[in-house]
Amino acid sequence: MKKRVKLIFPKRSVHMPITYRLAKDFNIAANIIRAQVAPNQVGTLVVELSGDIDHLNDAVDWLEVQGIEVSGASGEIVVDEDLCVHCGLCTGVCPTRALTLDSETHRLTFSRSRCIVCEQCIPTCPVQAISTNL
Amino acid sequence: MRTIDGINDKIRQGKAVVQTAEAFKAHAKEQGVAAAAAAVDVVVTGTFEPMESSGAMLNLGHTDPPIKLLECYLDGVPAYAGFGAVDVCLGASQPAVAGRGADLGDPEAVREHGGGHVIADLIAGRSVPLQATGHGTDCYPRTSLETTITRDTINQFYLFSPRGLYQNFIVGVNGGDRTLSTYLGPLQPRLGNAVYANPGALSPLLNDPDLEAIGIGSRIFFGGGVGYIAWEGTQHFPLQRRLPNRTPIGPAATLALIGDAKQMRPEWVRGCYFKGYGPSLMLGVGVPIPILNEQVATHCAVQDADIVAPVMDFSIPRRVRPTFGLVSYAQLKSGSITIEGQPVRTAPLASIYLARRVASELKTWIEAGQFELAAPVAPLPQDRAFLPQDALGG
Repeated sequence: MKKRVKLIFPKRSVHMPITYRLAKDFNIAANIIRAQVAPNQVGTLVVELSGDIDHLNDAVDWLEVQGIEVSGASGEIVVDEDLCVHCGLCTGVCPTRALTLDSETHRLTFSRSRCIVCEQCIPTCPVQAISTNL
Repeated sequence: MRTIDGINDKIRQGKAVVQTAEAFKAHAKEQGVAAAAAAVDVVVTGTFEPMESSGAMLNLGHTDPPIKLLECYLDGVPAYAGFGAVDVCLGASQPAVAGRGADLGDPEAVREHGGGHVIADLIAGRSVPLQATGHGTDCYPRTSLETTITRDTINQFYLFSPRGLYQNFIVGVNGGDRTLSTYLGPLQPRLGNAVYANPGALSPLLNDPDLEAIGIGSRIFFGGGVGYIAWEGTQHFPLQRRLPNRTPIGPAATLALIGDAKQMRPEWVRGCYFKGYGPSLMLGVGVPIPILNEQVATHCAVQDADIVAPVMDFSIPRRVRPTFGLVSYAQLKSGSITIEGQPVRTAPLASIYLARRVASELKTWIEAGQFELAAPVAPLPQDRAFLPQDALGG
């Protein structure tokens, strides 16, 4: 199964080769969706972990023991249908085309699986209909 | 072929044939313009886009003791009070100022809040805090006022858009090397995106390019209520260059619109904010075009492929910006245009989805006999120049 998580590293853990350990010790493929890591700073990694469900749970336990904060609701983009006016301005800044206008109806459609949570759409939206569910 | 009186007779009898602009174009393409013109009485057009040149006129009613307003803030947004005692005008693009009654928290939230949001709040029936000072005169002795108002506790509340409808517009791109915050939203560097702001062939004024079927006094759908074409709009420039089908190759005619905000509905009046630029107001506007003759019908049959807009580079912040040439609305709506050999993603700023809904709602009104056409009382001028303002002296 797959699980999308947000990992927040304390400064002391930034040097750890996390994805290597996940692959070697737990047989888990970690697809990095978004990363913000720099020496001596708190790091953030949004990853999609795929592997056996028991291995996934073990891996999350291990990450927490290492002092890494694991957040399940990993900052997904949410479009508020009541606020959205379907202008489509966000579709021009979305790098992965997760946000598109339907070619027939011109309604905004959001494809979660394509979203890398870059958040560029959030300040672009003129009616503040887009947010992360953190 | 037809008169507005004749069409209104048919509307009253429930016999008027009304089509949305898109349906009419398909009809004309399939059966020819002459057949479509013979069959259809009214073509309804629509748009839903930011119209920052909009404002609301409010009359608050007199307090006791009475006040002649000097300064007035509605939810922290300054309203112009240089009229009679309790008349104020609230502009859609006016940002809030801190410490004037708006409970918005951080400074960024204050900057992002503006007249457009306050107008939309009032139309949605929400109460709005008001802080004001008075001149303190013999007849109006009161010098301060703090209260809350709603649309039901004020006398007049009407929307006036000095530039409500635009005939065509530009396409914004950024050929520079940093992101620009503009009235078209963020423009990404190195031609990262292109933004167009007009719904193209569905847009009201592109279906009547020479303003032959509408004029001052024409009744329209305005923010979900009934409004009227009040005057030529600011920056009205009908002399813009035009294609043989009479549609202009860039921003051209504009219209000033007026309507009772108390009748408007929140889904068609939305406050908005463009990051790094400022607040504004999105409005749904629908214009019915009476098919008076075959020429009006020919103009209504125009397609996205036959209407163009100029691509302008916002990286040069001058009055005359460099242009990358013309693109058609068919290309813009396909999601990508080519500029200097490079594919550039396009995104609209006008909501085509809601523009269509404006047109279909107005069609329903006319078919139900709730909305009759109004004959213009005066034509819109066809010969306005587009004057620059060059500072003299200094």
